[in-house]
Amino acid sequence: MIKREQQFRRALALLALVVLAFAGLGFRLMDLQVWRHDELAKQAEKKTQQTSWRTAKRGDILDVNGNLLATSIPVKMICADPSMIGGQQAVVAHALAPLLQMSEAELQQRLTPRIQKNSQGESVTNGLHYVRLQKNVSDETWQKIQAAMSQLTFGVDEKKLSKTDRAFLRNLRQYAISAEPDQLRVYPNGPLAAHILGFVGVVENTNHAPDLVGYDGIEKFFDDKLRGASGWRVSGMDSRKNELVTQRDEDVKAQSGLNVVLTIDAAVQHILETALTNALARHAPESITGIVMRPRTGEILALASLPCYDPNNPRTINTNTEPDRVISDVMEPGSTFKTIVISGALNEHVVTLNDTVFCENGIFHYGGITLHDSEHNHLGDIPVWEVLEKSSNIGASKIGMKMQAPKLYDYMEDFGLGQFTGIPLPHEVSAKNFVRPADKWGKYSIVQIPMGQGVAVTRLQMAMVLGAIANDGVLMRPMLVKELDDANGNVVQRYEPQSVRRVVTEDTAKEMVKALKTVVSKDGTAPLAAITNYVVAGKTGTAQKVVDGKYSSDHFFVSFIGFFPADNPQICISVVMDSPKEGGHAFGGALCGPIFSEIGRRCASYLNIPPDEISPQPGSPSPLVAAGGSH
Amino acid sequence: MAKNRKNQAAAIRFGPALKASFLCLLIAGSAVGYVWQKSQVYQLGKQIREMESRLTQLERNNQMLGDQLADLRSPVKLDQRARNLGLVPAQPAQVVRLSESPWLPSDKNNFARQLAARPAGVTPQ
Repeated sequence: MIKREQQFRRALALLALVVLAFAGLGFRLMDLQVWRHDELAKQAEKKTQQTSWRTAKRGDILDVNGNLLATSIPVKMICADPSMIGGQQAVVAHALAPLLQMSEAELQQRLTPRIQKNSQGESVTNGLHYVRLQKNVSDETWQKIQAAMSQLTFGVDEKKLSKTDRAFLRNLRQYAISAEPDQLRVYPNGPLAAHILGFVGVVENTNHAPDLVGYDGIEKFFDDKLRGASGWRVSGMDSRKNELVTQRDEDVKAQSGLNVVLTIDAAVQHILETALTNALARHAPESITGIVMRPRTGEILALASLPCYDPNNPRTINTNTEPDRVISDVMEPGSTFKTIVISGALNEHVVTLNDTVFCENGIFHYGGITLHDSEHNHLGDIPVWEVLEKSSNIGASKIGMKMQAPKLYDYMEDFGLGQFTGIPLPHEVSAKNFVRPADKWGKYSIVQIPMGQGVAVTRLQMAMVLGAIANDGVLMRPMLVKELDDANGNVVQRYEPQSVRRVVTEDTAKEMVKALKTVVSKDGTAPLAAITNYVVAGKTGTAQKVVDGKYSSDHFFVSFIGFFPADNPQICISVVMDSPKEGGHAFGGALCGPIFSEIGRRCASYLNIPPDEISPQPGSPSPLVAAGGSH
Repeated sequence: MAKNRKNQAAAIRFGPALKASFLCLLIAGSAVGYVWQKSQVYQLGKQIREMESRLTQLERNNQMLGDQLADLRSPVKLDQRARNLGLVPAQPAQVVRLSESPWLPSDKNNFARQLAARPAGVTPQ
């Protein structure tokens, strides 16, 4: 009986022990699974899960024929975990410095955990687990880095080391240096079309590799389209930090940015830039710009401003090279403005091409000021078309006076002066402050403005004016982007030519073309702008530059804007030079005419523009004279 | 009777042993199958990872080759190469422009006759 009681007590004690043990386990279970669940879950997740970012490829920029103008190539951002390197910075730096193209000393310093002061002012290591060593490293170099790391030797017999030390060295070789996917923006043609393309900068991102952000040109204007959207992947890892594909929780693919297809033709752009570069060397102007466009659609085939920069090399970007003078600089147009005055006057039937204007034999006194024609022009009674041919300031002023200020201002507005053209580029100015309404004109404005003084425009605005005349009187919006494509080449958005408004009638435009053809004749101001086998129409411009608040007699803006074939215009070309070395002897026709001719000749050949059947040679008489003296 | 009992006893001992063996085999087989399956999942995961890595590499190579092609076809580079070869743009005087007229069947015969009649070395204008 006693024995049974003893047995019962022992069993009870055992049961109590078991219950206690289970209670302890239960308590621990509650502690781990319930009370400390969030904290431990995070720790576990950190050790077994990995979030990797997937960088979106920035879209390409292509020319109208699909030639690559800007692209992104995948590169690596090399990073290090200094906490895994221990005291072996020198060994690692010695192995990697040549591959990373850094000095050993600099690399060693970056691999060393830094000492920082905490909030209590105590010196502590910052426990740095991530430091960026080098960006834009190619895949080949990364493979060499991995090989170099795996072959590191530390000058000790590792077999004699403790298990912990061996594990430390193994981890150092495998995980101390890592690479993040990154991309490098490349412009394969260097400075070609730099002002159109713009350039990108890098914006730091806390989550993943830095983002590329457009800072100028198309890169800036279409930044949100080009950028795309990053993706990410959350997945489990094994003990060797290899991804476990079956444990992928989230897998969001990066969405590449859209490709921007421009209306620019790289070959035409090259022709334009080559001609402008030669002119820059020959005439040493402060700057030179050029535009080639299709007047019927407003498509810009080429647009250049020199000096320019190489977007691959940010060091070449400075205040002299960065501005795109075609859209961001304003200038007095000079005689090219006469096209607005005379086309307005023709359209309003104030004059006809054959009406005569007395040009005061080259000297015109008006309200206390004296207007001059150029020193070669002592013109008397001449027809209106000859005012354009000879570029008579006095003739244009008199036509402007006849037309009166409000009407002239209306045409300035209708031709788009003082307004944004709408070209999809940043930093365009409207020059609105320089195109004052007629009621705010001064006493002499009505004689100054018709000859292109006292009013300022951008070079693109003035090119669009001549484009409108070439396009039967309809002003077009400049078109720089043809379409947006996705990564597979599917069109996402297509842009169509847009007309802004009809400015003058078709008949007026045709009359103007007749008159503008004479400018390139033997007696005109730009015989050197003629192109063999083509009839050219255009207008020269020579405008005094304002220096220190006064018109300079040494600094001029010289220009020629023209189009051909005159009766079926295919391309319109503008060439503008700022302060060529010829100084007071600089004239638009003499300096910019030959550049226009060279660009036109090469473009005609490349674009296969059918020649005119009647092919006046350079220096032939005015077509209007040759036609039987319609004046 | 005794003989029958003896036979029955032998049958009882063999049956459970067989069942136990079968059960053990089933459990062991399931365990091995489970491990094999897990191993397969891991191996396939590894293969997927490797193939994804290879795909990425091929895509990069493809892009690199595309970029190289674009570079070789770039008008600027072509122009430079042509200049390096001593070629220059044609001057207007070097360009002969021919007017295009509609091609009539009778012209075809005329042209063939003219072509046959022309002296050697003369290019038709």
